[in-house]
Amino acid sequence: MVNGNGTPKLRLQDVSKEFIAPRTGQLTTAATGVNLEIQNGEFICVVGPSGCGKSTVLNLIAGLDNPTTGKIEANGAPILGPGADRGVMFQDYALMPWQTVYDNIGFGLRYGTPGDGLSSNEREGRIRHFIDLVGLNGSEKKYPHQLSGGMRQRVALARLLANGPDILLMDEPLGALDAQTRLILQVELLRIWGETGAREQRKTAIFITHDIEEAVFLGDRVVVMSTHPGRVKAVIDIDLPRPRTEHIRANPRFGQLADQIWGLIRDEAYRAIDG
Amino acid sequence: MSMMATSRAPQRLSRRAWLVQTTLVPLVLIGIWEVWAILAADPRAPAPTRVVESLIDLVVHGGLIMATLQSLGRVVSGFALALVIGVVLGILMGSIRWVRNLLDPIVESFRPIAPMAILPVAILWFGTGTPAALSIVSYAAFFPLLLNTVHGVSQVDRKLVLAARTMGVPRWRILTNVVLPASLPSILLGSRLAMGVAWTAIIAAELGVGAKSGGGGSGGIGAMMFIFYAYNIDLNAIVVCMIVVGVVALLIDRLFRLAERRLMPWRN
Repeated sequence: MVNGNGTPKLRLQDVSKEFIAPRTGQLTTAATGVNLEIQNGEFICVVGPSGCGKSTVLNLIAGLDNPTTGKIEANGAPILGPGADRGVMFQDYALMPWQTVYDNIGFGLRYGTPGDGLSSNEREGRIRHFIDLVGLNGSEKKYPHQLSGGMRQRVALARLLANGPDILLMDEPLGALDAQTRLILQVELLRIWGETGAREQRKTAIFITHDIEEAVFLGDRVVVMSTHPGRVKAVIDIDLPRPRTEHIRANPRFGQLADQIWGLIRDEAYRAIDG
Repeated sequence: MSMMATSRAPQRLSRRAWLVQTTLVPLVLIGIWEVWAILAADPRAPAPTRVVESLIDLVVHGGLIMATLQSLGRVVSGFALALVIGVVLGILMGSIRWVRNLLDPIVESFRPIAPMAILPVAILWFGTGTPAALSIVSYAAFFPLLLNTVHGVSQVDRKLVLAARTMGVPRWRILTNVVLPASLPSILLGSRLAMGVAWTAIIAAELGVGAKSGGGGSGGIGAMMFIFYAYNIDLNAIVVCMIVVGVVALLIDRLFRLAERRLMPWRN
């Protein structure tokens, strides 16, 4: 999965994160010894039982938190804080409830750095483009509370893409959806990501999920994490052909990969249930 | 057509029933009051008919409208002052911990002191004119505004702030375009409460200031009431003033509820 040209898009070197639990005051290790290299245009899925530090790692890459030890670099430069080059899609979408669909999608373009140097016409064109892309025509003037979960998820995705980030960071974005909507949006996500186009034109994506099949379906590689403390247990290459459709689930290789990943986390998953 | 008729008819009936149910008790009470006043046979005893006469007289010759507008003007300017200070301080206290730690003790020690309790100081410092009344109104309106703003800001969903940061939104923009709108429901609630206590305070302040200045000077509907009480002993006029005070308070409340709906279309 390594492409020829030198620096990886993202490099995590010996990253660890400790924090003091607010209730107990105990020092907790959320993640330790995380080493990862992610190439330009790769779709990386991260799976693991709850408490394995998946979200912690994502927040560190987003720059919303600093690692206790280790280094994180994007395009060879250390990450010092949040920036619009690394767009985040939050688990519960984090849409502004007082803004319409249109204004939510344009939020970064209007108030943040992605809108720098854009005329209001260009801004409008870009918002329109992504409204079309995610299929939200006719809902521009609605407020988030008037939308279904699937539609909110589309708004969040359109907002993420409208800001034109280099790297897409997605924290269980489909987690709150019903199973059918989820399957449909997985396919759509791959289409929007650029699966059918040239590899160089795809965004680099990191996608957190607790759903193994979802990870296999979407990812070029799947990072399997384990708990206590959170660390990378394995990185699995997903050698399924692209573009992927619903039918790929019938491919025996799909089942093998899912089974292999399940084998890596099943002990911990059972232990989590037993307490 | 017939479907519409059948579906509307019960609604109209119930509306009429509602009207009867809600006005019956007040109307009966007003009737009893009128009979009682006639039986008392004292021309100064207040009675509904005399109150209406007095109202017309006060509007035409007595400057009731001017006095009400004067009081309202003080309330609006005092409220505006409190709004600016309360919301700015509230946002700072709600979002920056050390500001909160510094100011919280002062706020909490002044809060239990009723607006009327600062009246003597206000008169000594500002005299008996508008500034004294204004300072009391601002003081009264300040606390609900500040406390509700602080509450609103501290309740803001942290995810929204983080989301804005990942979109490269600068800190001050996050305050004005995320924290402020996200706490708007609380700020508007605080505004409505503040306007209510401000109106209550202005009447009390004008009564008090009026007492000090011997009926002259301050003006406003509170001072007017004081004159009717202390000099003219006109109970009918006092009742008129009471009703005006009540109606204005009701209108203010309705206006703010309307504003809440207008300013927050995302809440239904």
